[in-house]
Amino acid sequence: MTLPFTSADWTALYPIEILAVAGLAVIVSDFFGERAGNRYVSIGLALLGTLGAALVAAGQFGQNHDAFFGGFITGGFATVFEEIILIATAGSLILFGTVGPQQRVAGTVAIMLWSACGAMLMAGAANLITIFLGLELLSLGLYAMCASVDRKSARESALKYLILSSTATAFLLFGSALLFGATGSVALADFTNPALASNPLFWMGGGLFLIGLAFKLSLVPFHTWTPDVFEGAPLPVTAFMSVVTKAGTLAVFARFTYAALPVGVSGKLLLPIWIVAAISMIAGNVGMLAQHDLKRLLGYSGIAQVGYILVALAGGTPLGLRYAIYYLAAYTFMNLGAFAVAASLSDENEAGARLANYQGLGRRRPWLAAAMTIFLLALSGLPPTAGFLGKILILAATVANGYLWLAAALIVGTAISLYAYAKVIRAMYAPEGEHHASDLRPFVPLAWTSAALCAVAVIVMAFYPLTPSNVLPLVR
Amino acid sequence: MALVIVTILLPIVVGGLLLFAPRNDRALSRAIGTAVAAVTFGTLIAAGTGDWSVRWLSRPFTAAFHFGATPLSIWLALLLALCTACAVAVTRVERTRDFVAVLLTLEGTMLGLFLARDLLVFALFWDLMLVPVFFALVVWGEHPATAWRYFIYNFAGGLTLLLATAAFGIIYGSTDVIGGSTAPLVGAWAPWIFAGFAFAFLVKTPVWPLHTWMPPTYSTLPPPMVAVVSAVQSKAGLYGFLAIASVLLPEYVHEYATPLFVLGGISLLYGAVVALTQNDVKRIVAYSSLSHLGLILIAIASGNRLALAGALVYIVAHGLFSAALFLLLGYVEEREETRNLTRLGGLGWRNPRLSGALCIAALAALGLPGLAGFVGELVILIGVYQAGYVWPAIVALIAIVLASAYMLRLYQDVMNGPQRSDLPVRSDLTLLEGLAVAPLLAALLLVGVYPAPLLMQLSAVTTQSVAPP
Repeated sequence: MTLPFTSADWTALYPIEILAVAGLAVIVSDFFGERAGNRYVSIGLALLGTLGAALVAAGQFGQNHDAFFGGFITGGFATVFEEIILIATAGSLILFGTVGPQQRVAGTVAIMLWSACGAMLMAGAANLITIFLGLELLSLGLYAMCASVDRKSARESALKYLILSSTATAFLLFGSALLFGATGSVALADFTNPALASNPLFWMGGGLFLIGLAFKLSLVPFHTWTPDVFEGAPLPVTAFMSVVTKAGTLAVFARFTYAALPVGVSGKLLLPIWIVAAISMIAGNVGMLAQHDLKRLLGYSGIAQVGYILVALAGGTPLGLRYAIYYLAAYTFMNLGAFAVAASLSDENEAGARLANYQGLGRRRPWLAAAMTIFLLALSGLPPTAGFLGKILILAATVANGYLWLAAALIVGTAISLYAYAKVIRAMYAPEGEHHASDLRPFVPLAWTSAALCAVAVIVMAFYPLTPSNVLPLVR
Repeated sequence: MALVIVTILLPIVVGGLLLFAPRNDRALSRAIGTAVAAVTFGTLIAAGTGDWSVRWLSRPFTAAFHFGATPLSIWLALLLALCTACAVAVTRVERTRDFVAVLLTLEGTMLGLFLARDLLVFALFWDLMLVPVFFALVVWGEHPATAWRYFIYNFAGGLTLLLATAAFGIIYGSTDVIGGSTAPLVGAWAPWIFAGFAFAFLVKTPVWPLHTWMPPTYSTLPPPMVAVVSAVQSKAGLYGFLAIASVLLPEYVHEYATPLFVLGGISLLYGAVVALTQNDVKRIVAYSSLSHLGLILIAIASGNRLALAGALVYIVAHGLFSAALFLLLGYVEEREETRNLTRLGGLGWRNPRLSGALCIAALAALGLPGLAGFVGELVILIGVYQAGYVWPAIVALIAIVLASAYMLRLYQDVMNGPQRSDLPVRSDLTLLEGLAVAPLLAALLLVGVYPAPLLMQLSAVTTQSVAPP
């Protein structure tokens, strides 16, 4: 028996393959060598893998090729999302350098790489099978990673995530089945048939499919798992989850809404999504106000930030997609930066996640506090950061598309969020926190470097708005 | 000409570098800060109207980092540099080095705001200038709630400004429009864009009922910072009305003149009446600001050429005397360890120099002829009356009368009357303190007797803005 796939099909997956092999190499390398240096070998190998994958993926930019009979399409769209996923993976991997010295990290590092493979598969997925495959590969890794530390909250987090994520997958799968029933095909390309607009099965299938995605994007009202899971999971895993899951799911969402929906359907089918995005922007930011834990805070913040990104996609214009990608990239840096700062302050107990430990940081760790300030300003959309430019670009796209009410919700949500973010800034600089005694970790080179790079990226992106053209998703 | 960008970046960069200076060397920090502010004053004059531009966005609308002084903005920028130099020179708060750094950053961000020729850059600096003041409120303020009130109110204004800017850019195709000869915007969206701008400007000015962040902010900030904030940052909104709303959306300034008159008029009267009842000296000046800025808003809403000319004079005059008042009242508080009017009294016997300086500043604030405040008020009143708006002119006149009442009360209760035995006795103004307020007072006198340069400058601006009704 011969496989019907050509070598070109496998070439299209090179970035993913490199990452998967890097994961194997990490596992194998862990068998050798003494224990103390091992984690740096694991992290180094993994970073090398992500770098290689990033270079290969960059080489595929602009080369539209549909591998596996249109199951996976390379080109601008996939490349951009793959790069964002790889950057986020690298940024999260670095944080493994800071977790407690007793832990072995090789297994978790390898799972993270494989999980990232799933997200990258979603970036290029153009039929329902590949989408499901990518989503499950991503999620299975996450369940294991959430439980990778021996802590009650981590186990709780893993179980919660397993159950709720499976529910979401069930929705997605049922939706896929109905879509298949309506169209007789799993390829997204076959969904563009205008005749489908009168098929109730297609509407139901599309709706369930989108609910599944909304779960993964943690949009209100499907968001309740996010803060709890974020809080319990180990710091590097939370960082990974907060960006990579969103990036992969957004890629699927964008391809589905931009390329796959028939003309008559998209406006009505997507309206609930925009409404949900508007509610997420407000509810997520309100949820942030009462938090005392940085991971929970960023969990709620992520709910709102996904709302901002979706707002840019409303209207379905190419420019909107470019700004959504720009904001996603900016969000990647600000979020990873904030996690890097938290990791720099953390030991086994993850002290850096508790907001109380940021009191007086401006005096004791001026550089870390300055970096954290930049990330928080960026998350709240204040200049001189990429968050500011991202907001204005999204607002411009939204206004141009005629979704003024979404722009208004974005404004209200952002105004609310300022209090939550600035509360942390205030804690770091207010004079009453200066005598707050807590012994800090000394200089942590990897996490500090990551925070510094993210801070530079967040500021530079504000002045050089890199919004690549040629990123429209395709289906064949 | 690149001098203009140097002017903006210099204070910000030096402010950042200052954090590496020795922590306890107050004199060094002050000297550096004063020198930088003085240098920006010089480079502003040297740069003239030369501009500097670098492309920022080409999609969805074009935007550029375009900076350059206009005949209008140069006065605000000069006022800012002068007030910063005077304020930094006498900074004596705790952690002086950090304070000077924050103050210089504030100066740089506000210079960026006034010198911006691009609407999006204007919006960027609008948000950016809130951050140093927020930091100052957090570190040196008296109550945490004040910092929130300041930040959230003004950030909300900044967001509507951002939304309006985005909509403007989409419709117009470019935001590189400040100080150029741009055709006014019309169409169905224009009133909404005007509303977005106006909300931001009215919060920042502030006017009643959006003013509630202002009295606590002004009374808890350290005197050097509040001198700069009240003198110049509060003018950002009025500058926005003059340079942006009146030029790009003149129809709507005219169409919504009545609501603006009402808001300005209420601010005028309300500020004046509350100023009469306050006992905290900084709050008295804060409420007097509310009142005075209401007058400028009325002038702008009238759209009359003469009133607009008067508005610029009064903007500068108010900047000078409110900076002087806050600095001088800061000296009083430092000496007597209170700023409660009921506890103060009789300081003038022992502090003739302090008393004299406060007298000049207070007289300028109440509009004594010969000082800058009078010129501005007179020209505004004539202009508003000339434009046919009789009632706003009458309301303004009442408030000006009330101004003499609260300013004289302030001066009387602090400087005159019997000496209080329970107050500490400290020496009169030192030479440095005197030198720090002298330029402000001298400028008040200069503008008072020779306002022609200011009046003539504005006629150039206003010919292209609102046509007289």
